[in-house]
Amino acid sequence: MAGADGLPSNDPVAVAGQLNEQVPHSRDLGMEVVAVETDQIRMRLIPQPWLLADDDAEQICSSVLYSLADSAAGLAVFAAAGALAPIATLDLRMNYLRPAASGRALLAVARCRHLTDEVAFVQCEICSEGQAQPVATGSATFMRNTSGKRFKAFNEQENSA
Amino acid sequence: MSGITKLAQSSEDHAAHAAWQSLLKRIPYARHLGLEIQPGQAGMEVHLPYREVLVGNSMLPALHGGVIGGLIEITARVAAQSQDAQVRRPRILDTNVDYLRSARALSTFASAEIIRQGRRTALVQVTCRQEGASAWTACGRVQLLFSATERQPRERA
Repeated sequence: MAGADGLPSNDPVAVAGQLNEQVPHSRDLGMEVVAVETDQIRMRLIPQPWLLADDDAEQICSSVLYSLADSAAGLAVFAAAGALAPIATLDLRMNYLRPAASGRALLAVARCRHLTDEVAFVQCEICSEGQAQPVATGSATFMRNTSGKRFKAFNEQENSA
Repeated sequence: MSGITKLAQSSEDHAAHAAWQSLLKRIPYARHLGLEIQPGQAGMEVHLPYREVLVGNSMLPALHGGVIGGLIEITARVAAQSQDAQVRRPRILDTNVDYLRSARALSTFASAEIIRQGRRTALVQVTCRQEGASAWTACGRVQLLFSATERQPRERA
């Protein structure tokens, strides 16, 4: 995947899904890619008992929404850029508008609002499935093309292997 | 530091450790991440031991940004709740995390500084560093709300 230079247009959902599957934390939480548009990604997460905020509350932990927003936002940058050059989150801000009920799946929509050679700005909204009002909104800024020393070392290792 | 001061300090640490531990262990997602409480240089710290499932970028490898965000949010929540006179469970209103450097496949430690603890809200700043490094990996600010109407059966009992 490191050598791929773009998302093939024939099945973007499958490609984004594969990318998502390669992220251990996203796989661990059960995140799924459900749709890919030009600059937009939709993801879904089915709540599990170990993702809750408290033993006494039927609410999903906000940090699960935080992870979902970060993953969706990152994929939205790839979708908008049409390339897989590495990115790094500079910052991510989340507003938790209302509690997320554990009985409903989470649906996240992340949209890349602006892309330059160096940075990307992404906005994200998370809803409880079947509910119109969002449970959280987020806003992330990414650095693009962050091929640091360790990344280059990894690629050299891969290429010589 | 005299022997008695040291003793008093260590018993205070012990009480704080127990208080943080009991708040943390009621959070299913904190257990899932494998968070632990340990005494730090200035108060309690939350320790996130490295595990492969926490990775966001397998090539580097680097921890997922959401894992660092979760560590920051949960640390802020436990810090704010432990400082509340009635130990009410706060609701996180918003979280703002700045990522300063890539979080490597190492243990991560978070410490909290309460910027403001009010009757209805708390603002907590959390900084994360990794084992063997003094530079911050990430820092974040979390706003929390203590709602009078929220039911909290165990704490009220």
